[in-house]
Amino acid sequence: MSAMSLLAAGDPLYQHGVTWIVFLIVAVKVLLGFGICLISVTLMIWFERKVISDMQARIGPNRAGPWGLAQTLADGIKLFFKEDLIPERSDRIVFKLAPFLSLVPALVIFAVIPVGGTITIAGYTTQLQVADPPIGILLAIAMSAIGVYGVMLAGWSSGSKYPLMSSVRASAQMISYEAALGMSVLTVVLISGSLSTRTMVDVQGGGPWHWNVIRLGVIPFVIFLIAGIAETNRPPFDVVEADSELVGGFHTEYSSIRFALFYLAEFLNTVTMSAIVVTLFFGGPSGYILPIPGGTIIFPVLWFLLKTVAFCYLFVWLRGALPRSRYDKLMDLGWRRLIPLSLGWMLLVAGFLVSVAWGIGMGIVIVVGGLVLSRAWELGSEREFTDSAVLPPVASRLIPPRLVRDQTDRGEGEDQ
Amino acid sequence: MVLATSMTIPDILVFVTGALMILVGAAGVIVAKNPVHSALCLVLTLFGVAVLFIEQQADFLAAVQVIVYAGAVVVMFLFVIMFLGVDRTEDVHDEPLMGQRPLAIGLVLVLVGSIVALGSEAKWSGGSHSVVGINQGPYQNVANLGKAIFTTYLFAFEITSALLVIAVVGAVVLARRSMITNAPRTDSLGNPLGATTDFEGADR
Amino acid sequence: MCLWGVVRDRVTVVDQYLPVLGLLLLGIVFGAGSLIASKLLAPHQQATAAKVAPYECGIVPENDPPARFPVRFYLVAMIFIIFDIEIVFLFPFAVVFRQLGNFGIVEILVFSGVVFLSLAYLRSVGGLTWGPIKQLVKGMPARTSESTIARISADSSPERAA
Repeated sequence: MSAMSLLAAGDPLYQHGVTWIVFLIVAVKVLLGFGICLISVTLMIWFERKVISDMQARIGPNRAGPWGLAQTLADGIKLFFKEDLIPERSDRIVFKLAPFLSLVPALVIFAVIPVGGTITIAGYTTQLQVADPPIGILLAIAMSAIGVYGVMLAGWSSGSKYPLMSSVRASAQMISYEAALGMSVLTVVLISGSLSTRTMVDVQGGGPWHWNVIRLGVIPFVIFLIAGIAETNRPPFDVVEADSELVGGFHTEYSSIRFALFYLAEFLNTVTMSAIVVTLFFGGPSGYILPIPGGTIIFPVLWFLLKTVAFCYLFVWLRGALPRSRYDKLMDLGWRRLIPLSLGWMLLVAGFLVSVAWGIGMGIVIVVGGLVLSRAWELGSEREFTDSAVLPPVASRLIPPRLVRDQTDRGEGEDQ
Repeated sequence: MVLATSMTIPDILVFVTGALMILVGAAGVIVAKNPVHSALCLVLTLFGVAVLFIEQQADFLAAVQVIVYAGAVVVMFLFVIMFLGVDRTEDVHDEPLMGQRPLAIGLVLVLVGSIVALGSEAKWSGGSHSVVGINQGPYQNVANLGKAIFTTYLFAFEITSALLVIAVVGAVVLARRSMITNAPRTDSLGNPLGATTDFEGADR
Repeated sequence: MCLWGVVRDRVTVVDQYLPVLGLLLLGIVFGAGSLIASKLLAPHQQATAAKVAPYECGIVPENDPPARFPVRFYLVAMIFIIFDIEIVFLFPFAVVFRQLGNFGIVEILVFSGVVFLSLAYLRSVGGLTWGPIKQLVKGMPARTSESTIARISADSSPERAA
C-alpha cells in the first residue's frame, strides 16, 4: 500500500504509524470535537427557544447573558443542584444506564462529519473531521440504531405507565424510520461509490450543481429529511413526548442531571442530523473560497457552519409551523409511502448510473411495481375492517357491550 | 492469519478489550436473573464481536454486527421481553425440566472439550483465511466483500431474498388472528371486540 | 519516536477508529462526571413517598403499567429486521455496482423484486396498518351532545375496570 493511494482514502494522519505527536493531534481533535458538540448544543437550545418565541410573538429567554445567550448554561447549572430521584418501582441499573445510551451515540455520530478541508500541523496532514473510518456513514446509522436503546430502556426502567407507553411508541417509530433512512443513504453511496463521508463530500465539490440534492433528484433528500426528523423524535413527529397524552414522554421520571443528559442528547441529535443532511446532500464544507491567506482552511468551515445552521433553523421552523402528527399516520407514512418510494428511487438511480437505457427500464419496472402495490393497497384496505382483518387490530375501546347498549343506544332502541 | 505474524501492542489491547467484552457479556446473559439485563449483556457481547471484527480489518462486518444484531435483533428481543409481559424476574429454584442441570453440565463439558481439541488441532489460530482474498488495502474491505457476494456467492445472495420473504410470511402467520369463526373476537390484548358493532344490537 | 514501541510495518484501519474511541470514552466520562457533580451538589434528603411514586400529573396512580402491548409492535420489529438485512446487503452493492455493470443491475432487480413482493404481501394482509379498528357499522346512532355525555359516563363508569 503506497502512501499516495492512502491519501485518497482515510485520514492521512496515520500513514506513518501512531507516534506521540499523532496521538496528541488525535487527542486535540477529540477534545475539539467534544467542545464543538457541547457549545453547539448550548447554542442550539438557545436558538430553538429564541426562534420559537419569535414565531409565537414572545420574547423568549432574555435575562441570562446578552440576548439570553447564557440561559442554557444557567439551566444546566440549576439542574446540578436539583434532587436526583430514582422512582421506587424502577429497575435501578437500567434506569441509570439509559441516559448514557442516549448521549454517547449522539456524540459518536459527530465523529464522522467532515467539518472542513485538511490542515497541516508539524508536518502531519490531517482532515478537519474527528475520524474518517472506512465504514463512514454506516457508523452514523449504527449509532442511531443504538440510540433506540436509550429511549426504550428509559421508558421501561421507570416502572411507570406513561413513560412505558412512550418508549413503546418511540422505539417502534425509530426502527420504522431507520429503514427509510438507510434506503435514502444508499442512493448517496451509489453516486459516490464509497461509504466514507469524506469521499461523499469530495464528490460533491465544484458548485451547487454537483450537490447530491440535485444530482439524485430531490426525492432522496426529502425522504432522508422526513426520516431524520422522525429518527430524532422532533416535531411534528414527537409523539414520543406528546405531553397532552403521555405526561412528559419517556423521561418523565428522570430528574436533575439525568434529565439534562437526555435533553442534551436530544438537541445534539438535532445538530448532528442537520450536519449529516448537509454532508450527504449539500456538499458539506464545499463552497466558494475567497482568495485570502488561510482561506482554504477557514471558508470550508464557514460554509459547513452556514449550511448546518440553515438546517437547524428548518428543524425549529417545522416545530413552529406544524401540529403533531397522529401516531398511526406517522407509522403509515413510514411503512407505506417512504419505504416503497425510497426502494424505487434507489433502483432508478442505480439504473441511470449504469446506462440511460437501464434507467428507462427501471422507470418501467417501478411503474409496474407501483401498480402491484396499489392493488395490494386496495386489498389491504378491504381487510382493515374487523371481520376480515388478518391481524388483530392495535386497539379497541374497552367498554363493556352492555353499557354501550344501555347508554349509547337508548335513543335508537326507543325509536323502533 | 495475518495478525499472528505482526501482533503489536495496540492490536493486543484491542483484542483483549474485545474478548473481555464478549466473555463478560456472555457470562452476564446467563447469570442475570432479569431477562432485560440478559438482553443488554447480549448487546455487550455483540459489541465485543464488532470490536474483534474491526481488529481483523473486517469493518463492514463490524458495522453489520451493530446495525443488524444490536440495532434490530436484540431490539426485537427486548420488544418481546418488555412489551409482551415476560420481564419478570424468574424464580430458578424449581426446575421445570427433570435432570436439566446435570445434562447441561455434561453438554458444557463436551463442548469445552471439543473446542479445546479443535483449538489444539488448529494451532490455536481462529478461523480460515479471508474468503475474499487478501485485503488490498484498508479501504478495500467493502468493495472486496461486494465483489464476492455479487459474483462468487451470487446464488446464496439471491436465495437470501427468498429467506427474507419466508421470514415475513412467518411473522404475519405468528401474529395473525385466530380464524375460527365461532370463537369470540378479541383484539391482540384479549379484550373482547365488537363493542361498537353491537350498535346493531343482538337483542333487537 | 513511536508510541507503541514498534513501528508498524503495515497500515491498519484500526488507527482510524482511535478518535471514535476517544469520543466514546469522553462521552462516558462526561456523563459520569456530571452525575458525580450532581451527587455532590444536590440536596441530600430522604425522598418522600410521593416523590418516588410514578408521576402522573398529580393523579395518584391506581393501576399498574400495562403488562402487554399489541402484537403489532412485535410485528414491526420483525419486519424491520428483514428490511434492515436487505439494506445491509445493498450497501456493498452500492459500492461495487459500477464494476458489475448490467449483471449487477439484473441481480439487484431480482433481489429488490423479491423484497418488494414481501412488502406488497404485508400491505395486502393489512400488516402495515396502524390505528384504531375500523368496523362496518349500520344504524350508528346520531351523535348528539346527549349521546356524547352518555358515552363519557360509560367510559368512566366503575364497571369498565371490572
